[in-house]
This record gives sequence, structure tokens and C-alpha cells, in this order.
Amino acid sequence: MEKLILPDIPHLRHIDVYEMRGGYQALKKALGMKPDDVIEEVKKSNLRGRGGACFPTGLKWSFMPKQTTKPKYLCANGDESEPGTFKDRAIFEFNPHLFIEGAIIAAYAMGVKTIYTYVRGEYAKWITLLQKAVDDAYAKNYLGENILGSSFSIELYSHKGAGAYICGEESALMNSLEGDRGYPRVKPPFPAQNGLWGCPTTINNIETLANVPIIINKGWEWYSQIGAPKHPGTLLYGISGHVNKPGIYELPTGVLLTDLIYKYAGGVLGNKKIKAVIPGGSSTMWLRGDEIDGVKMDAESLKAAGTAIGTGGVIVMDEDTDILKILTRITHFYHHESCGQCTPCREGCGWMEKILNRFLEGEGTMEDVDLLLDVANNIEGNTICALGDAAAWPVQSFIKKFRDEFERRAKKTPSMKKPVKPPHLVTLEV
Amino acid sequence: MAKITIDGKQLEVDNKLTIIQVALEHGIAIPHFCWHPRLSVAGNCRICLVEVEKFPKLVIACATQVTDGMVVKTNSPKVVNAREAVMEFLLINHPLDCPICDEAGECKLQDYAYKFSEGVSRFDFEKVRKPKRVELGPNVMLDVERCIMCSRCVRFCDEIAKKPQLVFIQRADHVELTTFPGENLDHPYSMNTIDLCPVGALTSRDFRFKARVWEMSSTDTVCPGCARGCNMKMWVRNNEVLRLTPRYNPEVNDYWMCDYGRLNTFKYVNAENRIKAPLIRKEGVLANQTDSGLVEVGWDEAIAKVASELKSFDEDEIAGLCSAFATNEDNYLFVKLMNMLGVKNIAFLQHLIEGDEDDILIRADKTPNNRGVREVGLTSSINGSGWEIILRRIDEGTIKALYVIDDDPGADPRVAETLARLDFFVVHASNENDTTKLADVVLSSSTYAEKHGTFTNFQGRVQRIRPAVTTAEQDRALDGFAMSRLDKFGAHNDRWMQGPKCDARPTWRILTCVANALGAKWKHNTVEDVFNEIAATTESFKGMSYMKLGLRGMLLKTKVEVVAAPIHA
Ligand SMILES: Cc1cc2nc3c(=O)[nH]c(=O)nc-3n(C[C@H](O)[C@H](O)[C@H](O)COP(=O)(O)O)c2cc1C
Ligand code: SF4
Ligand code: SF4
Repeated sequence: MEKLILPDIPHLRHIDVYEMRGGYQALKKALGMKPDDVIEEVKKSNLRGRGGACFPTGLKWSFMPKQTTKPKYLCANGDESEPGTFKDRAIFEFNPHLFIEGAIIAAYAMGVKTIYTYVRGEYAKWITLLQKAVDDAYAKNYLGENILGSSFSIELYSHKGAGAYICGEESALMNSLEGDRGYPRVKPPFPAQNGLWGCPTTINNIETLANVPIIINKGWEWYSQIGAPKHPGTLLYGISGHVNKPGIYELPTGVLLTDLIYKYAGGVLGNKKIKAVIPGGSSTMWLRGDEIDGVKMDAESLKAAGTAIGTGGVIVMDEDTDILKILTRITHFYHHESCGQCTPCREGCGWMEKILNRFLEGEGTMEDVDLLLDVANNIEGNTICALGDAAAWPVQSFIKKFRDEFERRAKKTPSMKKPVKPPHLVTLEV
Repeated sequence: MAKITIDGKQLEVDNKLTIIQVALEHGIAIPHFCWHPRLSVAGNCRICLVEVEKFPKLVIACATQVTDGMVVKTNSPKVVNAREAVMEFLLINHPLDCPICDEAGECKLQDYAYKFSEGVSRFDFEKVRKPKRVELGPNVMLDVERCIMCSRCVRFCDEIAKKPQLVFIQRADHVELTTFPGENLDHPYSMNTIDLCPVGALTSRDFRFKARVWEMSSTDTVCPGCARGCNMKMWVRNNEVLRLTPRYNPEVNDYWMCDYGRLNTFKYVNAENRIKAPLIRKEGVLANQTDSGLVEVGWDEAIAKVASELKSFDEDEIAGLCSAFATNEDNYLFVKLMNMLGVKNIAFLQHLIEGDEDDILIRADKTPNNRGVREVGLTSSINGSGWEIILRRIDEGTIKALYVIDDDPGADPRVAETLARLDFFVVHASNENDTTKLADVVLSSSTYAEKHGTFTNFQGRVQRIRPAVTTAEQDRALDGFAMSRLDKFGAHNDRWMQGPKCDARPTWRILTCVANALGAKWKHNTVEDVFNEIAATTESFKGMSYMKLGLRGMLLKTKVEVVAAPIHA
């Protein structure tokens, strides 16, 4: 399968090379179409968001009001802070113009005049790369006033995040852009009604937008044939953990998880057995090593397997991994990153971490496991944003699938509740 | 309109409302910490989670608009479980220091813990520690550990006071409320955050540790701090006013009051300089550093003295000064007494501080009854400028006697010089001041905290004040006071029953005594009799009664000069 987003073309990030390889042709084509027809094209392509929730992109665009006196905005989400996820970074580095072109087409389709790109603050180098591409696009009038001689004008601003995972959540991202604390907003109202500065706004992931020029160039029919029919296209799978060749692999949706690991990522380090796999970034439910045979990497298949495609960030753990330590580390992450706004997530994440730490210290009991599950259940579904769910899911799935890990490590003498040391942070050597 | 069902009750409601609004309107209580009717919806506390049929997850009642056919359950097992979970979460890092917390007894967290919580915690780790005793500003103290991050205080400052001074920092269970760098919580409405705070995180630096809330009585009254007349509650223990808190009146002050009114309108009630009984000047002794020159006498002697002195002057030789600090009833009887004596020289003082006003509550007029004085007695013919004429005539020697109620004209040194020339000077006063130093007779009058009566605010709204503090002649049990638990159950030798009492009378009663000593046959046994007389004789008060004024007051039946919209409009 041909790579669409990250083709093997040297120096593609340079605008001249990009143009030589047919870059910005999709934009020209789109500018000749009616905006609604562009949305229709994307709708029919079945493109779904690559930011984690798999929401149909064309449908999302169609929520933007047509008749409005307010300015409309597009936020391109490059906050990319989910552990195990590093695909948007690759786009910034290797094919930034594809994303820029997609964002301009999206803006044209929705009648947006201003695009904000929100990039993870730690991506200092990639922010520079992106900015160079943006500047070049301005210089060639792909961005700016009356682009390419049309009546359409578009501005793109790049904003650097300040190190908070929560600012990748779309409404926290908007608050952050507005200069407020990165607190997710209560929904409804949804961004298309009441987004940035109270104006209609659409938020799309970087990779999602990078798919748009491809769809416009090749047409929806061609695109919708790639990979899994209900979730078509290629994905930038990011594989990390105990594999021989970690990295980003662009492959169609629906590829076998085992192919990803063994065929593309070079198999498990030292030929060990797999103990666990996180299939789509740290928020997704865990799979046992003996569950992964036949599992395909697309939204529907992974849902059927009791987990989710998420960001497509696959984390592989071999048989010698202290997975309880990993779970504790992940829980520490969510505790650390919870914005602290709503009660269950603010209080529950820290509590889960404390219970898990107790296990690492050899002081946990099986009662603690039941408590841990209860705490996770009490967070899930009861919070303002999905970070609460993201913190609960790994814990819930771990308890379901690896209860034996707890049993093995539970304190043998049953609980005589005694004063407990304050929990410490876990540091990982991986 | 939408037809909805809440807990089996079928309701037809406005479909612009949220579930919590509809439920509260129909007497169905849905617990809430962060939601407040006048603040934007934050949706963060999650205690108002309810079940809506066909919705996959529980929803928060504060942010969910009703739709036609909606079926809501506020007490299903799922809801009860979620509520218990939220309570458990809220309490795991909470210090649980109710025994030393000012909020105990009026704390939402405490109330809900009793109502909706299991009463046991499964959390057996060390709690997150946060700063204690943080001085957020001149009037507000913060205990960060008690804060449940509901953001009510933050939203109040942003949205109502329009002074964004508060902010959260840090994340997760380390979130802390604080002020922006270089900022203090020092805007004129800062103490409303204390009332809004559902827990004991924000406390009043003035009131902290003074009393447990259940030891105090609370009385519905009106702030005399400016012409707004914010409705408020006066909290009293041992006959001492300990704090004031705003009382909801959508037409006047909504849920709020200003810090100035809250802090400065009660201290003089229990101040050292209270005039504790009627006073008469010793022959020829003027006030000096060590001696006020005044001696305490009984009421009969003081009133007889006033009556005989007044009789000794011609009507043109007497002047009277009404008071915008006194009630409608006081001023009405004062003017009636002056009319009886044929006195035409009547005035009252305005107390305006130009510029000290805003478009929230605070008015430049620092008296509670300016409007009322003009309405019940001093109509268009005589106004504040009459006072200058009176002073000139005192200087000329044509006015020789002056009767002042509940104001302090002597505070102005130039005026004091003039007043010193009077042959006879009687004042009603609750506290020693520059005017009492000059008076021949000082009649100890009750403060607004010790009497019934009405004020008319700048909107023309007539509002009742009620006694919260007793004087020598009043008995809590007999005089219709609001009672605290200690009032009801304390024995007379109990220390709770103690506290200073002044031998003061309300101005309207003193005036009745003086008039009757002068031969009148006034029969006002209660101040309500006086009010009924006002209502019967004054067009703009027609149809009013204490009963009808109730807790929210009534508008005068005249064209109101300042037509003020309700403040939340
Ligand atoms: C806690 C949290 C963090 C998120 N972080 C990101 C992120 O870094 N990048 C991203 O594209 N989407 C992130 N999302 C998802 C966004 O909210 C949003 O769904 C997405 O940007 C929409 O784009 P898409 O429709 O193109 O997928 C996050 C969501 C949550 C709840
Ligand atoms: S779920 Fe967590 S991260 Fe999301 S709003 Fe609530 S506290 Fe913040
Ligand atoms: S201090 Fe009180 S009002 Fe402010 S956020 Fe905390 S609990 Fe809420």
C-alpha cells in the first residue's frame, strides 16, 4: 500500500518539493468547488477523526452554522500529549504542507477565516519546522489575503502549548487559546455553536486534516476503499515499548495488530512473549498478550475487542514487564494531568494512584483491588471531559484482565489497616 | 413549553430552563454545590447528577436543558450511588475539621454529608495538605484545604463584582484557590464570596471564631448603610450583633450586599460609647476631656424637662431636624410634633458622598431613608437647604431652641459653633458624638437594630426593619424577636442570656412621650399604630401594612423619581 500522508519523498517538507509532487493542487481544486460540495466530499469519504474519538469529520464540519454574523474558527489540534502517541509530530517534520493544505481546504469548506494551530509546547523543534512551512505558504499566497487570486482569505496562527495534557481536550484547548486556564467546558453547548470566544468553532486533529487534500485529489470513492470500510484511510500507527523497531508506520486501517508488531515493527525484543498491549494510546483498554491474535486495527474491530483505536499509539509489553508498575505510572500521569475541575476525576485519580502505589510497596490487599475498581467506576462517565474516563479505563481493564497480578502481589496476611506512608512517585526506567 | 416528568411528577415547564431550575421551582430539591441561580453554570461539583431516560450516562441537572417528553429521576439507585460517590470523593482530602470550622451548622458539605453520604470513608491514606489561614484580602480568609473547588467565588468576582481577582492554580487534587499575582481580594463586594462558599474555605476575618451559627438568632432586617437598603439578616448572641449577611430580595439587592454595609452598620450598636440612659446637662457644665457634663436621669424627668423647655419658647424660636437615618415612623411623628407646636423651621441633612457609588448596589446617598423623610413629612416646601436658613437664624438669635433626632449635625465644626449659641438643645442619640457634647438633654434612642420600623429606599420601596437586640424595656420572649436556640432553651442564669442592655427607647416612642407631656393624647402603643396612621393619611403609603410589606417591602404609590430596575435585569 502506497503511503499517502508520509510518502518516502526526500525533503517533502520544503514547499518547492511539495509543490513539485502535486502539493496544493487539492486546494486549487477545492477553491473551484462550492464549499458545501467540499463538505459533502469529505462526508462521503467516511473520514473519521484521528484525535481519538473517531468522530466523522464531514459531519462535524456540517454542524458549523452557515448563516452567522460571528467569525468562525478552525482549531488544528497538535497538542499530542497522550502517552504512546507521536504521529502528528511526524507530520510536522516530514509533511507539514499536507496538513496546512488540508486545514485551508477545511477552512474554505466551513467559511472559516482564521485557523489556530495548537502545538504541544515540548515540540519546540517541530514548532519551528511548522512555522517555516507556514511562512512559506504565506509567501506563496496559499495563506493570507485572497489566496491564489480567489476571493477567499485565510489566516493561520500557530500557538505553543505550555505543557498540559488537558489542553488537547478540545474545549480546554479553546480556553487555553483565549488565555484562560485549560479547563474543559461543559457540553452542550458544542464548539460549533459556542466555541472560541463564543463563536462557531471546529476542532480537528492534525492527522485528520492531513487526510483532506488526499480525499479532494483522489475523490471520496477512491479514498473510502482504503482499509476498513467504516473507518477508511491510512493511519499513522505509532508503536512503542518492547519491539525491535519502534516508530511510526503508515498502513491502512484494519491491519492486523500482530502484523503491526511482528511484520512491521520487527517483533518483540529478544523474541519474548507479549504480556500486554495497549492498542491506541494510554487511555485505551488493555489487551492480554493471548488476546491479540486476529485483532484488527480499526474503530469497529477494536470496539468489538473491548477497547478502542484511540490515537493508534500501540504500546507493547513483553512477558517480563512489571505491568502493575506501568499501570501505576499511567495512573500517575492522569492524576498529574487532571485539570482538577470536577470532583470525581480531581479526587479519584489521586486515590487510584495511592492504592496502586500501596501495591507496589507490597502493602495492598484484594480488598484494595475491589476498592480500586469501585473508584474507577465512580469516575467513569461522571465527569466533565473524557480525561476521567481515560484514567478509569486502563484501571478497569487491567483489573478485569490481570487480576492475577494483584493476587500475586497482595499482602498475604489479610488487612489489619495500619498507618500508611505517603505515596511516592514511581519512576520508570523504560 | 415542555411536558416533562420528574420523579413521577408531571410538569409543564418553560423549555429554556434546566432540570435543576425546574425542579427547584416545583419543590424538588436537587443537591448542588457549584450551581447558583445568578452565576454561570460551571458543572464541576457533579453532585447534581440525575438520570434521564434514554440517556446513556447520568447528566448534571444544572447544565441540562429540559426537552419535551423528558423523564428525569433524581433518586434512582444509579443517582443515589453517584451522589454518594461524589460525596466520598469530596471528603477524602477534606480536613473534616467541622468542630473548629465557622461554617459548621450552615455548611452545604456538612448538610449533604448527613443527607447523601454513607458516613464512612474508605480512604485511609494521608490527605493532601494545602495552605491554611491565607489572607486573601482585608476581609476574607481562606483555608485551602477546605475548598471544594466549586469556583463560585471566582465566578462571583468575574461576573457580578466585575473584578477578576481570584483564580485557581495547580492541577488535580493539588488545585489551590488564590489571587492573581499582585492582586488582593479587595473589591467592595468581596465578602459575598463568604456567603457563596458552600464550605468553610472562605471565612470573614471580622466574624471568625466569634460564635457557632446555632448560638445566634437571625433577624430579617435592612442595611442602613446607604439608600439601597439591602435586605439582610442580623445575627445576635448574648444581645450582641456579631455579623450581617445579605438576604435575598430580587427587587433590591438580589443575593448580595457590599462589604461596607456588612462591616460598618452594626458595630456602633454594641459600642462603648452607647448612650445608656437619658442625660441632662449639669447647670453650666460644658463637655470637656474628663466630663461630658451630662448626668443620667430617669425617663420621666428627662421628658418633663424637654416639655417644659419647649413650652417656654415661641413657635418661631424653635427649629427641628428630622433624620434620614431614622425610620418613616420616627420622622412622621417628629413632623407631627413640630406641627403641633406650630414649628415651621424643619429640615433634614443629606449625607451624600459623590462618586462613592456604582451600578451594582452602592449609592452615593449614605442614609437609608432620605426618600422616606421627604415622603412622610418634609415634602417639597422644605428640603435640605432649609438647614442653612435655620443655622443663620440661630446665629442671628431668632431661633433659640433646636430639636434634633438621630443625626449628628455637630460633626461639622462650623455648625457646632452655631449650635453652641442655642438656649435649649435636645437630641435623640444612640451614641455619644459631637452633637451630644453640645446638647442640654440627650434622649437615649434605640438603634435600627433595636426597633421596628420602615425605611424607604431610593427606589421608593418601603421596607421593614426588625429588632434583633433588646433594650432595658424590651423582652425577647415578649416582643416578637427572632430567637436563637440559646434564647429558647437557655435559663436566665445562663451565661448565654447575658449581655449589655441600654435604657434606650425608639425615637417614635420618645416623641409620643414628649407630645403627651405637652398635652397631646397620642395613642400609639406600637410602632405599627404609627405606620397605620401614615398609611391612612399619606397618599403614597395607601394600602400598606406591616403584614403586606412582609419580607420584600412595597413600592410607594407615587411616580418614582429614580426608576431602578431589579439589579439582575
Ligand atoms: C484529555 C484529552 C486529551 C486530548 N488530547 C488530544 C490531543 O492531544 N490531540 C488531539 O488531536 N485530540 C485530543 N483529544 C481529543 C479532542 O478533544 C478532540 O476530540 C479532537 O481534537 C477532535 O479532532 P478529530 O475529530 O479530528 O479527531 C483529547 C481529548 C481528551 C479528553
Ligand atoms: S474529567 Fe478531569 S480533566 Fe476533565 S474536566 Fe474533570 S477534572 Fe478536569
Ligand atoms: S473557596 Fe469556597 S466558593 Fe471558592 S471555590 Fe473553594 S469552595 Fe468554592
